[in-house]
Amino acid sequence: MMPRLRLFLLPLTLAFGAVCAAAAADLPALFAERAKSVVAVEFFTESELDRRPSITAAFVADASGTLVLPRAAINTFLPPSKLKDFRVYLPGRPVSEYAQGEYLGQDPVSGWHFVRVEEKLRASLVPVTAFASAAGAAEPAIGEEFWGIGLRGKDEDFRPYFMAGRVSHLQEMPERTVVAQTEVAAPGLPVFARDGGFAGVAVGGFGQSFIQYVRNERGQPVMLVNSEESSVFQIAADVTPWLTRIPANPSGRPIAWLGVYGLQPMDPEVATFLKLDQQSGCVVSEVLEGSPAEAAGVKNRDIILAIDGQPLPRFKPDRVVVGFVDRDISQRKPGEAVTLTVLRGTERLELKSTLVEQPKLLREAERTYFERIGFTAREFVYGDGIMRRVKLAGRKGVIANFVKNNSPAGTAGLQPDDWIQEVDGSEVKTYAEAVAKLAAIEADTARTEFVLLTSRGGETAVLRVKLK
Amino acid sequence: MKDSLLPSITRKLLLCAVVVLAWTAVSEAAVSRGFTHLLEAVVRIDVREESFDSGARRFSAGIGSGVIVSDDGLILTNAHVASPRSVELSVTLASLERVNATLVGWDHWTDLALLRIDLAEVKRRGLKFTHADFANSDKLSPGQTVYAVGTPHGLTRTVTRGIISNNRRFFADNRGVRGYETGLFNTWLQTDAAINPGNSGGPLVDEQGRVVGINSRGYLGADNLAFAIPSNIAKRVVAGLTAEGAITRSYIGIVPGALLDLEGFYSLKQNTGLLINSVDPGSPAAKAGLRGGDIVLSINGAPADGRFPEQLPPILNSIASLPVGSPVKLVVKRGEQTTTSVVATEKLESRQGEEWAFEKWGLTVRKVSRAYARENQLDDDTGLLVIGVQPGFPAAVAGMSRGDIITKINRERVASLELAKQMHADFVAKPAPSLFETETDRRVSLYILKP
Repeated sequence: MMPRLRLFLLPLTLAFGAVCAAAAADLPALFAERAKSVVAVEFFTESELDRRPSITAAFVADASGTLVLPRAAINTFLPPSKLKDFRVYLPGRPVSEYAQGEYLGQDPVSGWHFVRVEEKLRASLVPVTAFASAAGAAEPAIGEEFWGIGLRGKDEDFRPYFMAGRVSHLQEMPERTVVAQTEVAAPGLPVFARDGGFAGVAVGGFGQSFIQYVRNERGQPVMLVNSEESSVFQIAADVTPWLTRIPANPSGRPIAWLGVYGLQPMDPEVATFLKLDQQSGCVVSEVLEGSPAEAAGVKNRDIILAIDGQPLPRFKPDRVVVGFVDRDISQRKPGEAVTLTVLRGTERLELKSTLVEQPKLLREAERTYFERIGFTAREFVYGDGIMRRVKLAGRKGVIANFVKNNSPAGTAGLQPDDWIQEVDGSEVKTYAEAVAKLAAIEADTARTEFVLLTSRGGETAVLRVKLK
Repeated sequence: MKDSLLPSITRKLLLCAVVVLAWTAVSEAAVSRGFTHLLEAVVRIDVREESFDSGARRFSAGIGSGVIVSDDGLILTNAHVASPRSVELSVTLASLERVNATLVGWDHWTDLALLRIDLAEVKRRGLKFTHADFANSDKLSPGQTVYAVGTPHGLTRTVTRGIISNNRRFFADNRGVRGYETGLFNTWLQTDAAINPGNSGGPLVDEQGRVVGINSRGYLGADNLAFAIPSNIAKRVVAGLTAEGAITRSYIGIVPGALLDLEGFYSLKQNTGLLINSVDPGSPAAKAGLRGGDIVLSINGAPADGRFPEQLPPILNSIASLPVGSPVKLVVKRGEQTTTSVVATEKLESRQGEEWAFEKWGLTVRKVSRAYARENQLDDDTGLLVIGVQPGFPAAVAGMSRGDIITKINRERVASLELAKQMHADFVAKPAPSLFETETDRRVSLYILKP
């Protein structure tokens, strides 16, 4: 919804508008043309019990109908098979005229989700790359004005509206990112320079601090996040290369994996203490079992100082360096070699490793819903082992991914994320074995009860599931 | 016939009534005599104690109750009233005179602590006190009248009355006594006698004024649901604390669950077996290969019956009461297999480690205990858990916060609190930037603490 404040400010805006009317004369035309590079996307998330709609803004990446959805639009843990019925709406057109879209997957580098819209709509779309800026790849200057597009709600046919703001400052995160004075576009939508050139993509998730006063109480600090409009954007020169990173399949693979866990930025004070001067670095909290990092001889608590001989750049805030390392690895392909320079104690080591394909992800794990018992069994994947601190050899059983309220499993005390290790007193080694056992119980209408051995927070418990 | 019968019944009833009246009169006389004696033995306890949760050593004050249990001035109270954190214990006698006391020992598992009155002071000032007697708490029955005496909300010498609501209540609380575990090895008396904050440590007595329990806790916001430690448990703890200053218990690392009606599933005879819900990683039971879902049929030859939650504390207590290091023979059933394992017990430890304040770092810590390490799946018990940082001091300035575990200081593993104390002393003597390595939720960070 349009904030009320905006309506009150309208007369003021009009008066100001008259002054610079001449300069803004071309804006309506630029706006109308660029509104063709944005769409609204609706999709449905299917769960065991219901289907939930989600709506997000997206922009057009190329001439073959490829749409880019922001990272936050879709929960990364959801299997793509649960995402149904993508619908693409043109801003301002009747919502009945939507076209179908196909989910292409998530790119590990940008985090963007890609959707391809069906043929019939493509002629009405213009990719953002068609709007090259006269200024070229020049970095936005302080005070320079940028503008973008927001979309109204579905009940208003996703009508596009105009926003603009001036550059307040520029930051490396590690992409060069502009923070503007006011909101410039809906998160995930393109931002344009004054001349209409594509200047960047707005990113959401940035909040502002306020003090909230309630009558008779002291002010409370709160952070407010505008989820529909953003004043922050990543500049075009840094994100344009991502436009062609269209996943080959919905899993987003190939995904390169090094296997270092819990990277933490090295504090500049620590660098000084360790006589590393202005060097930036990342502490490896844990080296994961069976990973390329382990094979290369990286040890827990090593400090990564350089990748392929290139010292890690220094960022502010310090933690951005973690994103930099993650991005560097994710941009590579499995099979590629990478050399890490690490500091161990006082020793500097060059460790060469060969990246491999990332182990099966949560979103790729197999799942089976047992309706009568009332829960979904999910395959135990590599990430489950990390979370539960289980060695590769000890990985077994399945995870309760969903537990239906008041179902036999729910009444027995099973909770989502419980790790099921035994069914009816005997260990279940694999997902297939667990599913076969549970399916047999589910199908046996004469069964009155069965027993699960589950683990939660490192402690096991015997749960008796009463079916009748 | 009816006519002749009636008067005789009436006469009998009358006779009964007279007998009952007479008995009541005797009993009330006993109550008043018992009570006079008991009231002489109840004390108010004022405690000043240190706390370490704000990044510095701070002091706070509290009020509790207690009962004198020996003529040489031993006072029984709750472990959550008097503990090693207490720096000053002051006791108000029935005569309203105040004397100092010292801690003899405490046992958070049963929420009991033992103090000793400063007898020299008592003698010098010519003060007098009596001591209470214990009743057999196993003989209590639900519905029986009991009285609570104590200092609710600071109101010295308050007597409230109620009944035994349940004589075998089971609950265990992992952080029940100031963050320490309690309740695993005993059942509790439940009473509806009004128990309020400050009643803690006071006696629950029968009509003769004999101590049947030590009032310990109540449900906040509930009406008259209060709990006391049975006197039979208290007697044993008093003996142990008097002799050694602490109760040493044995540990094998099993977490039992009530079997309820799972006997059919495990093909067991009714009232047989103790279900193991979980086995602590790295514990003696884990090393012997026991795991969740196993059924213990007997412990050192005695059949185990853990059908109901109320039955679990005595079983656990039978293991805990063994000398540390003694072998426990467990007959265990897993599926169709029955095996015998012998495990050697370890000393039972709290998950709560020793606390300390490092003033110049602006840091308060708690030693990572073996139990805490197991619970949080840490590699070992290395390290100090940060429980407070003082704003503006080196640790806070460097960015450390509550919940961090300090694993290394200047590249040296912090294996003990003593080592950290030594390093702090060095920091005080020769101030220089120090490198701290911490682990938080498995993430390793480095900090520099500058003087």
